[in-house]
Amino acid sequence: MNRISGGQFAALLLVSDAFTLICISGGVSLITTAAFLAGIFLQLAMAIPAVKYYNSGGSLKYAPKPFLWFYLGYILLWGGLLFVMIWNTADELSIPSQNFPVIPEKLLLSGLIALVCLYVSSPGVRPLSRAAVVSAALGAVCIGIVIIGAIPRFSVDNLNNTYNSEGFFHELAKGFVLSGGLGSFIVYLGYTKTSPMKCTIGYFIGKAVLYTAVTVTVSAVAGGIMKAADFPVITAAEISQPFSTQRIDSLFLIVFAILAVFAISVQTEAAAWIIGVLFPDFTRFRSTFTLILMICAAFLLSGAEPYNLLYAAAVPTALFIVPLIMSRIRRKGEG
Amino acid sequence: MKTEDYYYSPIISDLQKNLSEIKRISGGSTDLMVNEFYCGGIRCVLLCCEGMLSTQTISELIFEPLMHVEKKASSHDLFKHIQDNMLLAVDSPVAENYGQLFRLVNSGFAVLIADGMNIALAFGVQGFAMRGITEPTGEGNIMGSHEGFVEVIRTNISLIRRKLKSPFLVTKLFVKGDKSQTDLCICYMQDRVPKKLLNKIHESLDHIRLESVFSTGYVRPFLESGSFELFSSTGTTERPDVLCSKLIEGRVAILIDGVPYAIIVPRLFCESFQTLDDYAFKPYYSTFIRWVKYAAFILAIFLPSVYVAIAMYHPELLNSTLLMILVQEETKAPLSLVTEALGVMIMYEIIREAGIRLPKPVGGAVSIVAGLIIGDAAVKSGLISTPMLTIIALSIISGFAVPELNPPVTILRFGFLLAGGMLGLFGISLLACAVLINICSTEDYGFPFTAPLSPFKASGMRDTAIRTGFRKMQTGGFTVEDYHE
Repeated sequence: MNRISGGQFAALLLVSDAFTLICISGGVSLITTAAFLAGIFLQLAMAIPAVKYYNSGGSLKYAPKPFLWFYLGYILLWGGLLFVMIWNTADELSIPSQNFPVIPEKLLLSGLIALVCLYVSSPGVRPLSRAAVVSAALGAVCIGIVIIGAIPRFSVDNLNNTYNSEGFFHELAKGFVLSGGLGSFIVYLGYTKTSPMKCTIGYFIGKAVLYTAVTVTVSAVAGGIMKAADFPVITAAEISQPFSTQRIDSLFLIVFAILAVFAISVQTEAAAWIIGVLFPDFTRFRSTFTLILMICAAFLLSGAEPYNLLYAAAVPTALFIVPLIMSRIRRKGEG
Repeated sequence: MKTEDYYYSPIISDLQKNLSEIKRISGGSTDLMVNEFYCGGIRCVLLCCEGMLSTQTISELIFEPLMHVEKKASSHDLFKHIQDNMLLAVDSPVAENYGQLFRLVNSGFAVLIADGMNIALAFGVQGFAMRGITEPTGEGNIMGSHEGFVEVIRTNISLIRRKLKSPFLVTKLFVKGDKSQTDLCICYMQDRVPKKLLNKIHESLDHIRLESVFSTGYVRPFLESGSFELFSSTGTTERPDVLCSKLIEGRVAILIDGVPYAIIVPRLFCESFQTLDDYAFKPYYSTFIRWVKYAAFILAIFLPSVYVAIAMYHPELLNSTLLMILVQEETKAPLSLVTEALGVMIMYEIIREAGIRLPKPVGGAVSIVAGLIIGDAAVKSGLISTPMLTIIALSIISGFAVPELNPPVTILRFGFLLAGGMLGLFGISLLACAVLINICSTEDYGFPFTAPLSPFKASGMRDTAIRTGFRKMQTGGFTVEDYHE
């Protein structure tokens, strides 16, 4: 199996998380930050059975097939939801579509991202993880620029606008919905050459830093107009202009495109790997097949409310319950 | 006639039949010189290839002593006497079949055959015309050695040996090319090279079934993976000092006879930005120059596309003064920005190609016509705007800062221009993702092309992000195996 380092593992998942954070809708306040951080702490605790499973020599490759099917379904649905997020967020972005008059702008944006994902996910997990490190570094620089640009517009009053959030537990559930990438966390944890515990702690620390930096900045910058903002992170980026005579909104398009491509590719690669385990003879066009299934999932989920409890409940199932059962079964098998 | 028809045929002991066979195989070629004479009372023939050997050396060192050999009872005695008692040349191989015989003759050896003998004695008396050692034309250097490789493989080996006197430097000659019978030489430091790398390179070279090998481009595809790679994971150099530094890092080099370049395996992306001069200047200056080259690489690829994308779709990224200047200039141009940029870039590629292929005296005229007449006239006539010409010129000049990456940079420049022209910064971002994954998937023999950046190796940063001093660099004993995944 191709092995990846702890840094690459964290980069793969953080790129995916950063994208979902960009696409977040609804209000953001300090309550959101607190709820997200509490959620991340809970997720870290929930990840312990998975860490133990891999530490004891367990492998998803040799896990009972129903569990593989569960993760496959989970990752495909999450991939579909990512496409839905792209579709919904596309309204906020303007891409030059005048050269393609017959194709609707949203379809062009989603289609092109899917096409690039197909190429990006095809070489395998190691190239993807290397590229994810580069794109994560680029993303960190861009987020840094946005935060620096936002500093002059920081307002303590905006931070006090806690009414922007719909309560701690709602925000906690929202944080769980945004953490749908944790299904692929279980898959990629088996790829790591660093200790699974170190990888897990490193990733969750990175996630906490990312969520805190973004949500606090968004609250401080766009807190006053949060009710009018469909996508608060994008609104905050639009408000945060570091230069007085020019606007940098278009640079946000670059960040969005790169993070979208890697977020979906990370899921595609994980799902394609599971398909490879379930169907060893299916060697070619696995990524293409996976992407098609994800697009189908996106059609299924297109009308659904993105922040519902069912999605939130799926995360603990994938992160905690299934690895716990797998560990028990493995221990019984050894006994 | 096919090579396999004669290559392994044993030499015929009857001299007359042997000569007939040699003439049959060679087709009566005029450059094959057949000198029949008696040596020690035995009828012999000295074969050599015209123009491939030194007539003075052959007269003094071969003919003269052979003429004074006392009478021998048989040809076996004669050959035994020559082999045991006469040191006619430093290199004296023995040919047992016609393949070996012809390879030696055509490599500048004088080959002695005798009546009754089914072997041939060869004497190394090569003396063909060759280019002297000159300064490399493609790898400029200010402070280092000014020696470059030449076309003769043995001279190149000696150039390496002069710089690396360690007995651990191994050079192994072998032949490739069914028709060209080209000498290739694999070089490595046996105490530094990863054994797996060496074995895999040998395996890769075994797959070569070419008829001829005339340049590094014939061999490099066999050393690289078959998948589509924008950037080459093998490098070349025409500098012996650069090659020696790579060998010390545990890399493997392949020299080809007739080619003044050596192939280096494996090659990393960051190495394209390193020159020997970096190690001659103070570290702070070398670090600065290195970052200038990184910036130049980015500008070479992205500048025209970003300019077109911003001017066409994202003008808000420009400040108002700059925007006004561009609008004023571009409104005068009759063509669209993409067409204008494509036209200038294609024009440049045509002029560059013409400058390379034309005879040197005419090449200068091409520069004058291109620079003064076409460039000046195109702007004055309003066909091309001044900002566009400036942007393209800046991009092309930036590409010269990293000459080794020029082929992929040229193609990427066109690709990004089209992406930027059609979809603005969004198109550029998507193409950048595809290019990034292509670069990250470039990996041969387990050495990722993007190391030490990704996978990140902190120790590698001391000669990538910065260039530390030799006091620090001398510790650590870096070899390329540190990057193996």
